[in-house]
Amino acid sequence: MSLGIALFLLANLVAALVAAARRPTPADLMLTALLFGSTGVGVLVLLARAMQLPALVDVALTLALLAAITGIAFARRAWHAGSRDE
Amino acid sequence: MSEFTSNSLLVVGAFFYFAGTVGLLRFPDVYTRLHALAKADNLGLGCVLAGLALQALETDGLAAALKLLLIWPLALAASAAVSYAIAQRAAALGVRPWQKGDE
Amino acid sequence: MKPLTVFWRGVSFALLWWVLAEGRMDGWWVGLCGVAAATWASLRLSPPRAGRLRAVPLLRFLAFFLWNSVRGGWQVARLALRPRLDLAPTTLDLAVMLPAGGARQLMLNTLSLMPGTVGVGLDDATLRLHVLDSRLPVAREARALEAHIARLFEVAP
Repeated sequence: MSLGIALFLLANLVAALVAAARRPTPADLMLTALLFGSTGVGVLVLLARAMQLPALVDVALTLALLAAITGIAFARRAWHAGSRDE
Repeated sequence: MSEFTSNSLLVVGAFFYFAGTVGLLRFPDVYTRLHALAKADNLGLGCVLAGLALQALETDGLAAALKLLLIWPLALAASAAVSYAIAQRAAALGVRPWQKGDE
Repeated sequence: MKPLTVFWRGVSFALLWWVLAEGRMDGWWVGLCGVAAATWASLRLSPPRAGRLRAVPLLRFLAFFLWNSVRGGWQVARLALRPRLDLAPTTLDLAVMLPAGGARQLMLNTLSLMPGTVGVGLDDATLRLHVLDSRLPVAREARALEAHIARLFEVAP
């Protein structure tokens, strides 16, 4: 069950990447960062269950934590700059 | 019963991921695609984590289940911050929002 | 420094360790060092302030947020899967009444996960939102969110 869902999510990720490769505007490329966060973490936790590898949950947790920290650090620049820069 | 609930949650989660990908492919501009990704994928992740936590509760105990659920708020914080940063950056780059009637 | 604050922070970090170790107790001394270090660091970096978050508004805010993120996901899924794509996106400028700082940033970020809205910019007290469909009651929902955050931070909206 969880292996099937993990493969399904991977297929989603591949479809989205192919689409992003076909229209490589800067804004669309940024969307893939978001995509890897949510889909990647989902695939990792599902694989942890399917392959009986509980350590993958730690990988997923660390990935989510890093994504949160880098995301907030990245957005802080935008918060402080306001919409006036560039 | 509990296995049925957890499997249903996994399927519902997969459905929301699928809807997010469809939105990403079909929606007309970066802002509308952000809506699809930020909301549908996060809800999909939430459902998947809840389903797996329910399974972990039976086999590995409460702490393992809570650990899975702990991932969700982190992922939410990440995607809220990143989607704001992307939207702000797109606006700064002068990407005009798509409007009804364009193309 | 109130001993009670130290105690509660220590308990929270100990719980976090217990969850991260998945309930195993074989490495408890590593955990103990970690909890002590985390408590010390948290007291150094974020000393207890007078205006702390209250428990009841926090729970109400979390419930509101959870329910609305489910609604938001469902709504965008429905719009994406509709056979004929029927979107009427628009932008909305909203005057924020919340004070600058944490409260305003929380609102900006939560709005990206609420039904129909993504925050695009914050210029002084004006919040610029991208709205997925102009037929959605976005302004009313944004006001409801603002009221929740105002109660959470104990400020008048």
